[in-house]
Amino acid sequence: MLDPLATDSAPPITRLVEAFHRLPGIGPKSAQRLAYHVLRAPAAEAHALADALVAVKEQIVLCAHCQNVAEQNPCRICQDTGRDRTVVCVVEEPLDVVAIERTHGFRGLFHVLHGVISPSDNVGPEDIKIAELLARLRDVDTEVTEVIVATNPNLEGEATAMYISRLLRPLGIRVTRLASGLPAGADLEYADNLTLGRALEFRQEVR
Amino acid sequence: MRLSHLALTHVRSFEHLDMDFEPGVHVVYGENGSGKTNLLEAIALLSTARRARAGRDGELISWTALAEDPLPAAQLSARIDGAAGSTTLDITVMTRAVRDAGTASTEPPAASRRFRVNGVARRASDLIGRLRTVLFSVDDVGLVDGAPAARRRFLDVTISQLEPLYVRALQRYGRVLVQRNSLLKRLQERRGDAGELDFWDQEAATAGAVLVRARAELLSRLDELASDSHRDLSTKGEQLRIAYEPALPDDLREGLCEPGLDSRLAAMFRATRPLDIRRAMTLHGPHRDDIAMLLDGHAAGSFASRGEQRTLALALRLGEVALSRERTGDAPVLLLDDVLSELDVRRRARVVAAAYEVDQVFITTPDEDRPRIEELPGARRYALEGGTLTPR
Repeated sequence: MLDPLATDSAPPITRLVEAFHRLPGIGPKSAQRLAYHVLRAPAAEAHALADALVAVKEQIVLCAHCQNVAEQNPCRICQDTGRDRTVVCVVEEPLDVVAIERTHGFRGLFHVLHGVISPSDNVGPEDIKIAELLARLRDVDTEVTEVIVATNPNLEGEATAMYISRLLRPLGIRVTRLASGLPAGADLEYADNLTLGRALEFRQEVR
Repeated sequence: MRLSHLALTHVRSFEHLDMDFEPGVHVVYGENGSGKTNLLEAIALLSTARRARAGRDGELISWTALAEDPLPAAQLSARIDGAAGSTTLDITVMTRAVRDAGTASTEPPAASRRFRVNGVARRASDLIGRLRTVLFSVDDVGLVDGAPAARRRFLDVTISQLEPLYVRALQRYGRVLVQRNSLLKRLQERRGDAGELDFWDQEAATAGAVLVRARAELLSRLDELASDSHRDLSTKGEQLRIAYEPALPDDLREGLCEPGLDSRLAAMFRATRPLDIRRAMTLHGPHRDDIAMLLDGHAAGSFASRGEQRTLALALRLGEVALSRERTGDAPVLLLDDVLSELDVRRRARVVAAAYEVDQVFITTPDEDRPRIEELPGARRYALEGGTLTPR
């Protein structure tokens, strides 16, 4: 098999193949397929793609309140007067906001950390948006009474959750954590030991 | 318990092996390099989900598959019958990326593993211990004269098969330790503050307490069982003692099985912070544990002869067999990898006797005479040649 990145293609094509290959989840073959698709497509389609790429870099900003990526500052969610301003849900990444919004079960505000504490990756508390969260909650005008820490239920997510709860406790704010256990619609028999163990430990009263 | 069916596809020297096995003694004859060790290590892998020897997972995949398949993968499958009924286990080792054909490499590729129990995808920790095995190997002498890491490995492999929670704790402790050491390095460089250690200290203590307690319990019983075996095996009648040597400050070494160990460990991790930061590493904890082995009060690693060390290693394995049966009420499958040929008649007879006390045993040997056929009455015999196992 030929190495798609080392073909005799004209330099512009090679450059595009390489650019696609740098994207996450795109291997050399896919990069080649995408590049030739663009080559064969009408010029308008290529311009639309190029414009979209530039626009995402030029028009997307970080919301000064929640640190989420947005088209305007403050973002749509932070501006929405219909939202519950007493609850803030802290998540790791912008995609987590999308996931929680899709549930239509949460009407509060968000705070995006853009990472988790992981010393082995050289990421400490000062490298993610924890100071911004603290500033936001210390604001005299804040109405926040509860912070839901929705970091992932893995080691680094737990470390971050604990760090945040330690910081916020002196402020008199209630800090909660997402429940963890069996997925909805799951079969008990197929649950792994750790998940089932947690579900048992954090069982709830039947109401 | 017993292994009633084994199928290996593209595993080391085995392209396709598909065999049913009865209970009892199975002897596999094969010349050096015929793949005898590969066969027993494949069975051990289905039992422990880790390789018996150090090395990359990619090495498990046969060279033919690596050279010819676009997505090379090794597949190990087993059916186990025991007191708990019948269980199927599958392990797939697959290369992570498609390699271009013709780009021959001398390095084994990076590979990942998938586990199934009764056909359902599971974590490694859910597979470990479904098939319990004790592997006797000529390398076992390293348990006596080798580095402490070999003895911790012995503890981990043995306990993991008996206590599912131990596997979890071991994985978690390992990950916590990496993070804690990285943080210690940051703190040594005066970045961050020591309060960030709180979480990692607590996690290291919680997981570490599971390890320490399990190791203390196991070794206190193994001390008795291995000493009994050693008395039978040894000619001079020395007294064998084995003892847990936890890498903990002196005041913490007692009462390891009493409640509250996790909070005592948490206090220890907190107390050793300044020293840990200066050295940028976690100086105490189960990752530095060791086992003391004494013959008549003398350290066997430095004072015993080679023969005495081998006898000791054998006693340790026989003790492990007895302990596994005692804990579960179901004897493990024995894997004797070419260990009988190096023993004298008396020790060989003792090991063979142990083989007849369990439901199933696999013995490999290059030598038709050691063990002799009459030493193994009723044994099923196989010839291993060119990756094929033929009954004879």
